[in-house]
Amino acid sequence: MLLKNITAVALGGAAGTFLRYGINLWTLPAGYPFGTLIVNISGSFLLGFLTAWLAAKPMPSWVTAGAGVGFCGGFTTMSTLASDTVLLSAADPYAPLFYLAVSIFGGLAAALIGIASGTFFTKYQAKRRAGS
Amino acid sequence: MSILFILFSGAAGAVSRYLAGLFLSKRFPADKKPLPMLLVNILGSFGLGIFLSLRAGTVPLDIYSDPWLITIGTGFFGAFTTFSTFSVEAVTLFQQKKWMFFLWYVSLSIIGSLAAFIFGFILFS
Repeated sequence: MLLKNITAVALGGAAGTFLRYGINLWTLPAGYPFGTLIVNISGSFLLGFLTAWLAAKPMPSWVTAGAGVGFCGGFTTMSTLASDTVLLSAADPYAPLFYLAVSIFGGLAAALIGIASGTFFTKYQAKRRAGS
Repeated sequence: MSILFILFSGAAGAVSRYLAGLFLSKRFPADKKPLPMLLVNILGSFGLGIFLSLRAGTVPLDIYSDPWLITIGTGFFGAFTTFSTFSVEAVTLFQQKKWMFFLWYVSLSIIGSLAAFIFGFILFS
């Protein structure tokens, strides 16, 4: 059981990290850490959606662990957020504050919208099942 | 080649976070559920600070020219720490109307990770 979960977390983590790396490379020419903002905000939405959706839909624990802990966890990052904030402080004293504010409010809003969408989607599925 | 490194280091970071979470969650009461990942994020940011100061001596924007910075920095520490769990846990605390816990959790996560990164960075430089 634990081994199955660990394998799922490893695969999800590898995929999420690879995708984050790709997005970072793609946004690198901008000279601003947009990559970390994109992954953290979209990853927060995705985990919010999954959390609400999987709460109503019992799944084997390896699926939850692989998608949530593995993929969403590996896709988003706190340590690079910290290093990006320090990096930006070299440019302008307000840049790190702005970056942190966008990350935090963006991430929390995305998670909230994700949870609401997951709940809505679950209800929609239940209604469709009841109707058919 | 660096693609293989990033896949393995990302997997290693995520599995380490999973195991650390399992280990730590047994040591915290159930109503303090977000705390294990708070500790993991602080620890991972501290580790990235130490690693960057030892390997690069600076906080580089262009870490993509050095395979070690990609593998350990973006791969391992990037995957070991997480932001999505932080957001979802924070919103959950907010929805449960645990206002004080919410404020403490958000402040400690951000300021704690940032302070741990800076402390790790200056420790050996």
